Amino acid sequence: MTRLATPTRSEKSRGWLRPGLIIGLIVLALAIAFPHLVDRPKFWIPNIGIKSLWLGIVAMSLVFLNRYVGLLSLAQMTIAGMSAYGVAYATVTLGLSPWVSIVFGLMIGTLAGYLVALVAARTKAIYFLMLTLALGQVFYSWAAQAVDVTNASRGLYPVPRPDLGVMNLADLNSFYYFALAAAVLCYLLCRYVATSSFGLALQGIRDSPERMSALGYNVNRYRVGAITFASFIASIGGVIVVFDRNQVDPSVVNLNATLDILIVAVIGGIGSLLGVFAGGVVLSLLLNFSQDFTDRYMTLTGLVFIAVLLFAPAGLAGIGKQVQGVKDRVLRKKKSAPVLEPVQEPPTKPSEEELTTEGTQR
Amino acid sequence: MEQFLLVTLNGLTLAAVYFLVASGLTLIFGLMRVITLAHGTSYLLGGYIGYVIVRETGNWALGALGAALAVGLLGLVIHQLLIRKFQDDDMRVALITLGVALIGTDLMLATFGGTATQVAFPAALQIGVNVPGVGQYPLIRLMILGISIVVGILLSLFINRTRFGSIVRAGVDDSQMTAATGVNVRIVFGAIFFLGSALAGFAGVVGGTLFPLLPGQDGTYLLFSLVVVIVGGMGSIPGAAIGAVLVGLVSQYTLVIAPTYALVVTFALMVVVLAIRPQGIMGRAV
Repeated sequence: MTRLATPTRSEKSRGWLRPGLIIGLIVLALAIAFPHLVDRPKFWIPNIGIKSLWLGIVAMSLVFLNRYVGLLSLAQMTIAGMSAYGVAYATVTLGLSPWVSIVFGLMIGTLAGYLVALVAARTKAIYFLMLTLALGQVFYSWAAQAVDVTNASRGLYPVPRPDLGVMNLADLNSFYYFALAAAVLCYLLCRYVATSSFGLALQGIRDSPERMSALGYNVNRYRVGAITFASFIASIGGVIVVFDRNQVDPSVVNLNATLDILIVAVIGGIGSLLGVFAGGVVLSLLLNFSQDFTDRYMTLTGLVFIAVLLFAPAGLAGIGKQVQGVKDRVLRKKKSAPVLEPVQEPPTKPSEEELTTEGTQR
Repeated sequence: MEQFLLVTLNGLTLAAVYFLVASGLTLIFGLMRVITLAHGTSYLLGGYIGYVIVRETGNWALGALGAALAVGLLGLVIHQLLIRKFQDDDMRVALITLGVALIGTDLMLATFGGTATQVAFPAALQIGVNVPGVGQYPLIRLMILGISIVVGILLSLFINRTRFGSIVRAGVDDSQMTAATGVNVRIVFGAIFFLGSALAGFAGVVGGTLFPLLPGQDGTYLLFSLVVVIVGGMGSIPGAAIGAVLVGLVSQYTLVIAPTYALVVTFALMVVVLAIRPQGIMGRAV
């Protein structure tokens, strides 16, 4: 009731594993071949490939929370941003080595998520959404003003892509595969946690907190654990963000960035851990190509977003199932649900969607 | 002491604007249990509409009225087209209104540009009055404080003393039972959405008279009205007033003491309230 209507497929997990696995492997194969398939790798790899991957990873943490805990968090990009700031601070200000910086960033992000969880786990549903939105804005405003730590609006730079020994991230292809590996790892980790006894308890709490509480589960502690885990996933996304941009500034965590993650999750399917990558691809394509046919990128995104919510609440990942459902119903009743397809246009230079305006009050 | 009183007055006038925005939000939530994240967009749109009307006619009151009406009607249309069907799914409504906000923000940027504008008001009112203990203080700010108090009292009377108000309160408690007694709850929902949006539009004109209107303000006011209603308690008009005063005063005091942390401290207030009283100061336990 409180979370978005999503088909939980756990009851027939054995059945969906086979086709799901096949589709997953095909997508993975495509993702691995991606740098060699595109005509202009220097444009496609960072702007579509890597961007989709980090958008997807951060959105995955949101989907994990929504699907298994029943909480819709708008703080996930903020957590990723904190991790990005952590890496940048360790690299630029403290001068630490890349590995240590990455670990430092992950720790900052996860710790921040734990603190958010302590405050937010007590609230439910719509309150949780508002609280996480507000907390995200607090961090944004602090990041935009705290010159001594975050260097305010100029941000922390440069954060070059390091040579990690096993992998030289300065090479674009290597960095792409690094991000892809991170995405796969995040997915497997989410799946593992969701099917562990911890994850099952979470789903129990999602469905009936009172009953789980009566059974002796500490509901709050489980929620805090889940939010902290999701923060760790988001932090991994944050590490990729900072290396992707070679810097970090407040625009990483502003309201638009927060909404981008939500849009990715909703378009991909807010109940699907893999759908987020489809959402990420759609959003990065929109970002890069929408200016070919309209100046109003945000309006277009908003329309797509609303259309998905109205007609395909389970997102792109749920469309196959929805079409199936329509087919079944058409036999009895005439009723249809429009299917949404992303528009694709030939490539041009990436679009500038940044519009930084400060909300001054005086 | 003089500075303290001045900052207090500033905080109260800021609270007046916050209250006007947040009262619409809390009204809609109170009855329908949905949160409209397009509320900040309604605020900014109201401000722009008021700005245009005042520029053309020179009449501030007409601008405020026109903006309230226009934004209210737009809210009604959005409610009928997009929200009504999904009223029981609060998350979906929140997300749909977020989509509306995205579109609204973008279209307003396209129409009104990125530069700051401000709603004009008669030159006769652009004077300072002598407030004991403070000295000269802009009359318009005091008037807006007054307007806000009047609106607050009218809203309370409307909710507590009229037949429609009692229907609204019955709907808040149990909309299904209210419908069963023969009240057309749908019309009540529509009317409340109209009223809530109109209040945001009106607040836009009032706020746009004191502070600049520019892109990004929609997000700012959405956030502040969220904080106000969370602190005050969702669905309560007196709660919105208390929340607005707290948020207004705290943000102004910290602006003087520690400017960098003004917003952080304001939100910290919300966190503290939530930790002690998750339903807000005047909110009823969920």
